[in-house]
Amino acid sequence: MTKKNSSHKSAAVSRRTLLQAGAATIGAAAFPMPVIAQTKPFAGVTLRGASFQHRFFTLLQNYIPEFEAQTGMKVDLQLSAFPVYNQQANLELSSGGSAFDFVNVTFILAARWVAAGLLANLDEFTGDPNLTPAEWKPKDFVEGAQVPYRDAKGATYGYSWEGGAMVMGLSRMDLMEKRGLKIPKTFAELEQVCAAMNGADNVNGIVSFQLHHWCLPPYIQGFGGNIFRNPPADIMPTLNSPEAVQAIEFYANLLKNYAPKGVLTYTEDQARQSLLTGRSNIFIHSSAWITPILMSGDSKVKDTSRVVRMPAGPARDCPAANSQGLGIPKNAKNKKAAWEFIKWALSPEISMRLVKEHGHSSVCRKSVIASEEYRRLNTINGQDLGALYLEVLGLPAKGENYMAYRTVKEFPIVGDVLNKAFEQVATGQLPAQAAMNAAQEQAIANMRRAGTAL
Amino acid sequence: MSGKGLVDAERRRFNRWALAPSLIVLFMIAGLPAIYLVVTSLTPFQLVNPGSSTDFSSPLRNYRLLPDDPRFVNSLWVQAKLSFWGVLFQVLLGMLLALLLHTQSRVVEFARTFFLIPMVLPPIVVAIIWKLIYTPDISPLYYAAGLLNIALPSLTSSVDFALTAIIIADTWEWLPFTFLMVLAALQTIPDEFSEAALVDGANRLQIFFYITLPFITPILVISGMFRLIDSVKAFPLVFLLTGGGPGSVTEVTNYYAYLLAFDFNEIGYSSSVTIVMLLLVVAVSLGVVWMGRRREAMA
Repeated sequence: MTKKNSSHKSAAVSRRTLLQAGAATIGAAAFPMPVIAQTKPFAGVTLRGASFQHRFFTLLQNYIPEFEAQTGMKVDLQLSAFPVYNQQANLELSSGGSAFDFVNVTFILAARWVAAGLLANLDEFTGDPNLTPAEWKPKDFVEGAQVPYRDAKGATYGYSWEGGAMVMGLSRMDLMEKRGLKIPKTFAELEQVCAAMNGADNVNGIVSFQLHHWCLPPYIQGFGGNIFRNPPADIMPTLNSPEAVQAIEFYANLLKNYAPKGVLTYTEDQARQSLLTGRSNIFIHSSAWITPILMSGDSKVKDTSRVVRMPAGPARDCPAANSQGLGIPKNAKNKKAAWEFIKWALSPEISMRLVKEHGHSSVCRKSVIASEEYRRLNTINGQDLGALYLEVLGLPAKGENYMAYRTVKEFPIVGDVLNKAFEQVATGQLPAQAAMNAAQEQAIANMRRAGTAL
Repeated sequence: MSGKGLVDAERRRFNRWALAPSLIVLFMIAGLPAIYLVVTSLTPFQLVNPGSSTDFSSPLRNYRLLPDDPRFVNSLWVQAKLSFWGVLFQVLLGMLLALLLHTQSRVVEFARTFFLIPMVLPPIVVAIIWKLIYTPDISPLYYAAGLLNIALPSLTSSVDFALTAIIIADTWEWLPFTFLMVLAALQTIPDEFSEAALVDGANRLQIFFYITLPFITPILVISGMFRLIDSVKAFPLVFLLTGGGPGSVTEVTNYYAYLLAFDFNEIGYSSSVTIVMLLLVVAVSLGVVWMGRRREAMA
């Protein structure tokens, strides 16, 4: 009996167990798996991305574990030095490789990559509500920062993570006030202030660095000239126009007469250091390099500094603007996963966290820059840096896109020629007109050699 | 065939087979890229122009463009000046230093080790050291000049001094090489020759010109040739100190080739520049060897 009962009990348990197991299997098949799939949609995916080393990515790396936990994917982000990354990305993209799922779309190379069709069209992702929720708002990116990542038809191939707005930093307002000098608003006033400040109290009037094809074009445009005739449609160089000659002469005189000795070989760091220590009074460059005079712990001139718009030229007011973006290579293996990463990295939430938690202010989300929080954090000594940043960054998108010269894929060739010509003028090797005539000739010859029909 | 002949033939066959793997590896790591460089130089290859790497429709186009490219011609001239003065200083100063330190003493042995430091530093570190020395507002050189009331110009951004500044840095880096070579040669000269000359009444200068110099001349030629070949690789110094400027004053050929390939994206054209530079280096090196042999034959 006992044995029989026992056997019966055993059979009953077995049936129950079987039923339970069956129900669990059916249930698991019907419900829990999709739930898991929804929470970890990219489980098992290793996302490979590359960029140059920048504070943005160093900060972002702090948050990447959160993203990995949300999506289940692993992010392998390779960061290299700027020139190394650009060479590597150029080779990778142009050879049609699939080593990277997302890449930095470097500003100076963006036009080249977009024109050559090396990047995926991101409108396909933003246009699909299943891939991009409405609250992500592609139009929330600062318009001026997005210009380089569009093709002729307006399709988008990158979203910007960094905006560079050219502003003017003045380190020794105390000395300027003592000498009755006001913040220069025109090129002529700029020269007067540089002359009045240079030499005394161990202060140089102005400082700059060796990337002249970034620093010089606002002067050329300010005098009414341009780099190309009508970019991007007409890319005939206009380096020897009277306005360009006047500009190069003006800028060369500024550096020759009022800048530290050896300024022509200064790197950005050297110039920034000269400003931060008050050895040079004026530095005109991207906001990321200038605003540290007010915000950095290294600044010795926090209390005597101002950050303002760069002076306007006699003909036009064209402070330069640039940006860096994230895009997806055309042959990437994990495009959807890459888009998930870009969406997350450039979301308003992450942008705001970067601003609040790390003081990283050069984000490109209009809603963030215009927020009270951003304004509170970036208003220093009564100066609303956010408003200034947004104003400058938005200028190329208003009316004429004067930064279009920079988005032309032939710009690196012409920019290099411009650099050489400037150095020849600044060192007295050639007069401005002769240097720019030679530069014009050289630019045309180089462009033709590279296959551009002019 | 005799037994000895058979053994020799067997040994030769064995040597060939034993060498084959090394030759194959050498060909793959040195020969194939060189062949690819030549092939690329025959195309208008641009990274963002698909198909351009296999476009052989006008194979000599790049080479035809070179003579009319003023930057290329200028870069050859700059390279020639850098190589000539650099090699001359390195050989002469290396020889002088070796003659001075060719004695037995603990202090001298320490000094010899000390002089080797620049050569073993990574080239980019050497460039950074000289960047600091040449930067007016942080340089000890400018500080010392200031104390002596000497106004130095900015060496790396001055048209007159920029190339000299690079030659000085290059000489500092590679002087130990020629110094070591000459010192080794000096140590092989038997003392009897100079002792006999002293007995005959020769002075130090005569001993140097008639005994020492003929002994070390082959070494001077060899080290000069090595340095000549190496001098076209002064890339880190140019890259970091001047960026080829001001203007094109210090733009040497391999820096121009770098710009063409990586800044302007013209891989094919850059390859042709590199090939021409390579041929010129080979020609100059052969010329130096020929002159050395001719001198030996005449002696």
